[in-house]
Amino acid sequence: MSETCKVSSERRGDVAILWTDGYINNQGGEEIAREAYTHLDQGVRALVLNLEKTRIVNSIGISILIEVLEKVMDKKGALAFCGLTPTIDKTFRIMGLAQYAEIFPSQEDALRSVSKPQTA
Amino acid sequence: MIPPASATSAALLEELWKRIGAVLEGEGPLPSRITEAAVVAMGAREVTLYLREREAWVRTGEKLAGCVEPGEIPEPLPAGLFVREGELWMPLCADGETHGLLRVLDAPLEQSREHAGLLGFLFGSLVAAHRLGRQVRDAEFELKARLLELESLYDLGLSLGGQLDLSTLADEVLFRSISLTDAGKGSLVLYDKNEVLLERSVGGELLVARDCLAWELPEGGLINNGVCDSPTDGMRDGTCQKYLAVPISVPDRRLGVLAVADKESRDGRVLDFTPTDARLLSLFANQAAAAIQTARLHRDAIEKERIERDLELAATIQRQILPRDLPVVPGLEIAARNRPTRQVGGDYFDLFPLSGGRLAFLVADVSGKGVAAALLVSTVHAAVHLQIDDAKTVADLVARIDRHLQRYAATRKFLTAFFGLLEPDNGTLRYVSAGHNPALLKRASGEIEQLKATGVPLGMFPHSSWKEETVTLERGDLLCVYTDGVSEALDAADEEFGLDRLARLLIPAATTEEICRSVFDAVENFAADVPQYDDQTLLLVRRP
Repeated sequence: MSETCKVSSERRGDVAILWTDGYINNQGGEEIAREAYTHLDQGVRALVLNLEKTRIVNSIGISILIEVLEKVMDKKGALAFCGLTPTIDKTFRIMGLAQYAEIFPSQEDALRSVSKPQTA
Repeated sequence: MIPPASATSAALLEELWKRIGAVLEGEGPLPSRITEAAVVAMGAREVTLYLREREAWVRTGEKLAGCVEPGEIPEPLPAGLFVREGELWMPLCADGETHGLLRVLDAPLEQSREHAGLLGFLFGSLVAAHRLGRQVRDAEFELKARLLELESLYDLGLSLGGQLDLSTLADEVLFRSISLTDAGKGSLVLYDKNEVLLERSVGGELLVARDCLAWELPEGGLINNGVCDSPTDGMRDGTCQKYLAVPISVPDRRLGVLAVADKESRDGRVLDFTPTDARLLSLFANQAAAAIQTARLHRDAIEKERIERDLELAATIQRQILPRDLPVVPGLEIAARNRPTRQVGGDYFDLFPLSGGRLAFLVADVSGKGVAAALLVSTVHAAVHLQIDDAKTVADLVARIDRHLQRYAATRKFLTAFFGLLEPDNGTLRYVSAGHNPALLKRASGEIEQLKATGVPLGMFPHSSWKEETVTLERGDLLCVYTDGVSEALDAADEEFGLDRLARLLIPAATTEEICRSVFDAVENFAADVPQYDDQTLLLVRRP
């Protein structure tokens, strides 16, 4: 596993997909936040975080993801996760991330969900 | 803080609220709204809000958010409004505690002084509530993190219990250890019989695998929060600032070492590892040790099963090498028997009727046991069958077989053997004993002669030679060739069966077949329930 977490992204309409590769710690979390905020500032409404190349997340990384989630919610947007290992899936559920962001097994499912028209 | 109560203050508050109420009630993070409201209320060009988070001051704002630089904010903080180097500073207090601080640039000083009390109270109450909210959220986060630790220990126990692949097991332990201690990096080394079996690292190799085995680590782990500027027993030099290492051990030996380093904080500092971290990592190490032990026992069981299958195959091959039927040679009475032990041993006997009514025979005992011994028996069997027709004398046959072994034998084992060539017509026995137990020649008169070794065992030294001896078997004489599984069979008192007992069983009145049976019965009765680890072979030739 690489020492530093790499984040890449792609915009599809008003949704941005972010792919992580590596450890989501302080550095990895900051990378995700930077990429996410850039998209949100450019009008993206929803984010899909694909973590299929991440096997470790620590509490600092989780707290940054919570900050990103709060920012998305401030903007009345949506956030979805996909590609989680069973360990990370359970971690997110315990730490409360799954309370406001849905977790999907595949990227397609996540995209389909956040692309639905938002109900008032 | 005492709230403003005068009519002037109330009017001022009403006037202020008209200007900033909409801002404070708007959307976005509260610190941003307070900052914006302060700009409006004080007519400032720029305002920066500092908040106290845990023990540290944090600068808020879109561009400059983060930890404050040394000297960035005044220390100690004055209780009220003050000016430093042309900048206006306003402590935000509530309940006697300073929760925040405003740095105001280019604001009219008089207006600021006029509004300072009210704004300090208003913003102080807001940041105090904001701070309290964060503290509640942090406490909730901490609780969830502790719950996650407990769940992880439970999950790890479950997943490791069924995990027999050491590589997957190592990853699982390392990833969870790094994650739950908030470490920036981690390494794990596992050993098998003092050899490095497996190394795993995330974020850089922390451990010097070969040095970790002898590293004296306390059972509860070693915390080093000092500066790691010199090589430590098992740690790679210069790879981290602070580390925590725990042994992975079972009561009688070290199975590995687990280490994590450089505990992270949100503000980028490297935090000290705590005794709680050490306890958590030790629990992981204990679970890993149990799982590794299970995986190894499983692997050993599979290996043992494989070896037993090999041995069974080797035993089958060896049984097929031994002659199924004894030759019928006019003028000689022959009996032979082999009793293998459970493990594949290295006894071999063979008989070859040759031209002119002669009989060639041998009894051999290969050193060691198992597949290697069986392979050597197989090699000897092939060599004897290849060379017996070309050999001019018994000694020549032995030398040829030795050369064959020196050249082709896959293992550096040796064997003792008794080779004989008997002419039934006149009873001439030519023999070579290559380091073998003395054969017994029981004369018809009852006298016992020992035919002792005439050279070294085969396959032991290159270019060896063997002396060929000759003895005559008179009518009624009985030759007894055996392996040490017979003469050295042990009873419960560790006493050997011995040559005397064997010699007494060589009864002239009995047939060779009867003697053979009685010897094996006697050895079995002698040993009783004591397990025997050596093959037993007996060859009897009488000239009636």
